[in-house]
Formats: sequence, C-alpha cells, structure tokens
Amino acid sequence: MCNITKETTFDAISTVIDPEVGFNLVEMGLIYDAIIDEACNVHVIMTLSTQGCPLHQMIKQWVQEAVEKLDGVGSVEVEVVWEPAWNISMADENVKKALGG
Amino acid sequence: MNPISRDFAPPLSLIAPFFKYGVLFYLLAMGALLFFEPTFSYAQMDIAGWVHLFLLGYVMMIIFGAMAQLIPVVLEVGHVVVDVYYVILPLLGFGAVMMVIGFWLMPALLPYGGLLVLVAMLIFAFENIATLKKTEIRTLTVKTVAWSNGYLLLGILTGFVIALGLSGDLGINVSLMLKAHVYAVLGGYVVLTIMGLSLILIPMFSLAHGFDEKAIHIAFRLVITGVGIVFMAALISQEWLMMFGYAVNTLGIFFYMWQMYIIAKLTVRKELDVWAKSIIFAFVSLILAIALGLLYFVINSESILHASVWFLLLGFISSFITGHLYKIVPFLVWFERFAPLVGKEKVPMLHEMYSKEGASMMFGFSVAGVILGGVGLLFESDIVFKAGASFLFAGALFLYIIMKKMLAYGE
Repeated sequence: MCNITKETTFDAISTVIDPEVGFNLVEMGLIYDAIIDEACNVHVIMTLSTQGCPLHQMIKQWVQEAVEKLDGVGSVEVEVVWEPAWNISMADENVKKALGG
Repeated sequence: MNPISRDFAPPLSLIAPFFKYGVLFYLLAMGALLFFEPTFSYAQMDIAGWVHLFLLGYVMMIIFGAMAQLIPVVLEVGHVVVDVYYVILPLLGFGAVMMVIGFWLMPALLPYGGLLVLVAMLIFAFENIATLKKTEIRTLTVKTVAWSNGYLLLGILTGFVIALGLSGDLGINVSLMLKAHVYAVLGGYVVLTIMGLSLILIPMFSLAHGFDEKAIHIAFRLVITGVGIVFMAALISQEWLMMFGYAVNTLGIFFYMWQMYIIAKLTVRKELDVWAKSIIFAFVSLILAIALGLLYFVINSESILHASVWFLLLGFISSFITGHLYKIVPFLVWFERFAPLVGKEKVPMLHEMYSKEGASMMFGFSVAGVILGGVGLLFESDIVFKAGASFLFAGALFLYIIMKKMLAYGE
C-alpha cells in the first residue's frame, strides 16, 4: 500500500525555491501534476517560467531530490513540459500580489 | 547530479574576471572623462583612445563574459572549447590597454595592441561560430548571433587596417575605413548583440510571456541589412547609399523598440529594482539618441551629433549592461557557490547578494551623470559636462565596489 499522495508530493516540492523570484515552485504554479502508481513510483509533470532558464536542469534535479526524500517512494521521474505555457494566472494569490501582477 | 546542468555552464573562475576587469575599465573610462572638453572632433586621437577604453575594455569585455555564459543557454549546447576564454581575457585586456596608450601617448603601440585585440576577437568569433554549428536550433535569434559575429570580424579587420594606417605602416584612407569600422563594430556587433540579448533576458527577468516576436524579427533583418549597406557604402565612399543604410537601421531600431514595448506591456514583475530602472533609463536614452540623431540631419550641428552618440553609448548601451550585471553576476556566483547547497542548508536569494542602497546610489549618480554630460555636450558647456563626468565617476565607483562584493559573496 502506497502512502504517498499528490498532496504529500506537492508539499515536498514546495521546499524548492526559485532563487530569482523567491517563491517556491508550487506557489508559482509551475508544478502541473504528480502521478503516483501503486508501487509508489512518482511522475512529476512541471514547467518553468521561461524556456531559456539557465537553471532548467538544476531545478528538475532539485524537484527529483525533494520527492526522493518521501518515505517509501519508488522511482521518481520529473518531466518538464511547455504546454500549457506558464503564465501568472497559474500562481497563487500571494505570488501575484508580491510580483505586482 | 545531472551532468548537463554543469557541463554547459562555464566555471565562475572563467567568467568572473571578465566582469571584474570590465567594471574596472568602466571606472577608468569614467575617470578619464574628467580630462575631456565638450568640444572635440572624432578625428582626435585622445577621443579615439577614450572610445576604445570604453568599448573594448568595458563593453566588449562584459559582453564576451556574458556570451560565455549565455551562448550555451540560447543554443542548448556546450561551448566547443570553453577554455579559450582564459586566453581571450588577457589578449583583450592587454590589447585594449596598449591601444589606449597608443592613441593617447605612443602611436607606435597601436598595431601591437590592435593585433592582440584582433587575435582575441578572432578566437571569440570562431569559437562562437563553431558552437553555433553544433546546435540544431535555427531560429532567427541564432542566425542573428552568427551575423553579429561576422560583423565583428569585419569590424576588427578594418580596425586593424586603421591601426596600421595610423602608425604609418600602411597607406590607406583612414576616414573612409573609420566609418566602416565603427558601423560594423557598434551597429553590427554591439547593437545586434544587445537586441538579441534583449529578446532572451528582458522577458526572462520580467516574467513576460506569450508575446508576438514579429517586430523583433523585422528589426533583426533591417539592422543586419542596414549595417551591411553602411559598411559597403563607407568602403566605396557613396554618401547617398550610406544615408539609405542609416534610414534602414533607424527603422530597424524602431521595430526593436516596438518589440520591447510589446514585452513591457506583458511584464508580470512590476517591482522597480535597479535592473528595471536601468532598462527603462536605457530605452529613454535610446529614444533621445535617435531624436538627436535625426535632428542632426536637419540642423547639422556637431554638438547635436556628440550628444546623440553620448546618449547611445553612456545612456543606452552602458545602462543596459550595468543593469544586467545586477542579474547576471549574482546568478553566476549563486550557481557556483550556493546551488550545490540547495535542500541541505539555507541559501540566499539572488537579490540579497548586493546592497540595494549601494545600487540605488550607483543608479542615481549614473543617471545624473548621463543627463548632465549630454546637456554639457549639447550646449558645449565645460562646467556642466565636467559635473556630469564627476557624477558618472561616482556612480562607477559604487558599481566597482558592489561588483567586487558580489563576486566575493559566500567565498
């Protein structure tokens, strides 16, 4: 029985902060989905605020490491997608307010 | 750790000196301004010396360092031989110093300094072209990078020929060659590169998304064509063709500014940090430079042309570069020293890595300096120009100290 849920996965990823804007990836709205199978393998689907982000590979890696810290997790795969493209409406209200959008 | 993230990124030890020495050259260039008068001719050797101190020592040095970092980001491939940047730095630095001394004190040094700069730029351009060949990305931005490197080669070759002419080793028409050289380097390389960087960096830092890129594509084509026309027209001494080239370039710059307006409208981040303020001031200066440039063709007064060039160099190019230093340098330092600590201990945010008060002082002094200097040139007032130069020097001092602290952060 796998105890990992989408919520616990998102909580784990919320420890990853974008150093440029200072918000975590979940409140930025960059994490689209987390699919967990019966063997507790986690597939995270996420995006980035810009395609040319020089931190692309590192952010992917930080997300993977954050999820790997969950108890009982199997393999972790992080997929970066560009569709749908991220926009500020996907972020939490506090982010929108802080950025002035 | 995923190998891609580190393999593509050049080490900080390679890039940091470009910013460190670039800012030092900026400080020297602003200090040197205190010894200039607001009335001059472009044919004066001391003016040529200052322009090379500013453009080679500061602008080119910073652009080369930034491109070492950004080329892999834009092309999504690593440099072919990233270590060449260790060679480019001393060649460019010593070459620039020798050329400035050559212009100011010993003309015999000019070809030697020019040769060092030529070799540095040849290495830079060929490494970039080889890296471009590796990528499968064939966007107009990538093609523009190729064109700008081509113009850099043409610019530096004509510059070297001028250096030989000035030192008396070669009998050439220096004034004809000078226009071709200035246009190839300033329009063909510096402006095209800044246009390309704007398309990547401004939306990245302002979080602007989903904008139409038609305007910048038209701008790229027009400026590439316009610079080619002016370069050829200068070499064959055809004034009317040169005027046509200027018009094509001006139109290209309008399309570039239109694209920046489109991006600005979609900007998510409204915070007016030193980067945002510098970019706004850079574009206000560009508008002023173009307006004064157009006025020059109507009134034909040298002081208007001097003010136009001033706002282009010190207002637009310089503010664009210094503003971006507050984004690029903290990122490079953070990437090297703090990225490996993410998830293990508390790491700083990028904006915490420099003094905001110091940055505000630098911005305020620099803006006051650019405006006063421009007014001093326009009205040929020595005291106003010197006041501007003093403010610029004070701003440069702040920039130098802030940059030193940023590069040492977390050491």
